[in-house]
Amino acid sequence: MAAFSTRRLSSYMVLGIPIAWIIIFMLVPYGVLLTYSFWVKKYPLFVPAFQFGNYITVFTDPQYLRVLLRTLKISALVSLASLLLAYPFAYFLVFRLKNQSLRVWLYMAVIAPLWVSYLLRAYTWKSILGTQGVLNSFLMSTGITTEPSTIFLYNQSAMVVTLTYIFIPFMVMPIYAALEKIPNNLSEASADLGMGPIRTFLRITLPLSLPGIVAGFTLTFCLSFGDFIAPFLVGGPDGLLVANVIVSQFGAALNWPLGSALSVVMLFIVLAIITASDRLERFGQQGH
Amino acid sequence: MLKKTMTVTAVATLMASTVLADEVNVLTWEGYADDSFISQFEAESGCKVTATYVGSNDDFAPKLAAGGGTYDLITPSIDTTQLMIDAGFVEPIDTSRIENWDSIYEKFRNQEGIQSNGEYYGMPYTWGAIAFMYLNDAFDTPPTSLAALWSEENAGKISLWDDKSALFVAARLNGDYNIYDLSDEQLAAAQETLLKQKPLVRKYWATAGELVDLYAAGEVTISNTWAGYQSSLLAEKGINVTEFIPKENAEGWMDSWMIVKGTPNQECVYKFLNMQLSELGQCGVANVNGYSVANPVAARKCMPQEQFTKLHQDDPDYLDGLLLWKPLGERLEAYTNAWNAVKAQ
Repeated sequence: MAAFSTRRLSSYMVLGIPIAWIIIFMLVPYGVLLTYSFWVKKYPLFVPAFQFGNYITVFTDPQYLRVLLRTLKISALVSLASLLLAYPFAYFLVFRLKNQSLRVWLYMAVIAPLWVSYLLRAYTWKSILGTQGVLNSFLMSTGITTEPSTIFLYNQSAMVVTLTYIFIPFMVMPIYAALEKIPNNLSEASADLGMGPIRTFLRITLPLSLPGIVAGFTLTFCLSFGDFIAPFLVGGPDGLLVANVIVSQFGAALNWPLGSALSVVMLFIVLAIITASDRLERFGQQGH
Repeated sequence: MLKKTMTVTAVATLMASTVLADEVNVLTWEGYADDSFISQFEAESGCKVTATYVGSNDDFAPKLAAGGGTYDLITPSIDTTQLMIDAGFVEPIDTSRIENWDSIYEKFRNQEGIQSNGEYYGMPYTWGAIAFMYLNDAFDTPPTSLAALWSEENAGKISLWDDKSALFVAARLNGDYNIYDLSDEQLAAAQETLLKQKPLVRKYWATAGELVDLYAAGEVTISNTWAGYQSSLLAEKGINVTEFIPKENAEGWMDSWMIVKGTPNQECVYKFLNMQLSELGQCGVANVNGYSVANPVAARKCMPQEQFTKLHQDDPDYLDGLLLWKPLGERLEAYTNAWNAVKAQ
């Protein structure tokens, strides 16, 4: 009897602690955020209310839509750039590289930067792209340009480059995992049946690695979508992203209700993307 | 034996907590609680000083609104002090317990932003100008007008503080000098002027250190600045910049110490305030940050003549000439909204 209740207690603990953690640190804050989003800004701070004014502002004031669209654009570009770089790299590692230890080393080389502070990595790009930075010194020493150029830093391209560098491990990892799972005999069978390498890739490898692509795209997209450091460090005057606007609503503007409404909208966009990618992944699996 | 150990432990804990009560926790700007003068205060008063630093005036309200309790003293600027009072974050100061109160510049003691219902809530501490600054090597003829920050000649080399004060600058360029009381039309015009400038801007600077980095990395040649602060940091790096007050004038700022409502450390708080207004605190902060101070009597005693003059402590006209920041009250939202709209464009 005693043993039974101890077991029950421990099973409650095993389940209970994570559930309590989720409730206290995830659901309650989301609830608070949702509640705030219906409040109104009133000098000096804000007062409880139930109205949709903040959401109307988000969707009618052009400044918020413009920033939202810009953020979506930057995130899409980052995910695309990551995919175009990560896929060939992962493909090379899994299918072309025969040396096992070299493969592990190259894989780790891409993953290792994740253990370095985010801020440090972003700062690095500042010193690479700056007017007196590494890139400009290189271009001038090779004679490609005669004067330092200012076009590399403090604009949207600098943000895309920096974010791609920072988030690309999240694209490499799932694609690598997906490619590794593809049995070799499938492509061999395809070759035996007379398909060329390109058609084998398009008909066999690519569809089977689709879950990895979708997972990588979702991760890099959502991570860039919520970023506010890159605009601060390498973005220019036109580099404001939605997370920066939220920061300013909770800080300078002292308009927590509007900041909350923006956060809720952002949360819904991210949830919609995750749901869509989930569907896409399942659709991909049903196809086989 | 066990009992004895427990008693000893209990007494030790009790003593530790009494020692802990002699403390003062400040939420302030870097330099305002610098070891160079705080150590002496700690040794003399027995009050342990713990400082947390803010990067902007916008940091005070969110930190206190999220449930303060941790801080005893804050140092918002004169545009933010009223908000602290209205939001109920701070308590009145008993000026009879501040020895040098009457030595503070009268202009500062008269500021409405630090008073409410006939009581004082802020003790003026430091002040200065939001001056403008240029890289010496980049200009043959020194700029004298704000127009230089809108000039094609400086395209891609301009920086402006990422703050609502950008609107104050633009409004003055437009000829609107009622910068703390702009009408909706004037605000829209200032917003328009800033949008025209935007393609010429390299980067809006957010922190003092960032502006220093921008000059040091050769990214910008002209900007606004917290007078005395970044220019001296740049001088240490061997980069020569000159500060100037343009013909369209400049804003002035003034920081005050305020007591967070319900602080349990009254004794140390007043000791700390008295120290900050004395020669130790006034020259301490002037030496660390290069700011002018609110108590010219103390400054006279502890500053060399050269520093006294350089910080305009003997020049009331300079202080009166500046457009001292004012609380924007309910208009704050319109200003922040306009500035956010410029950045969102």
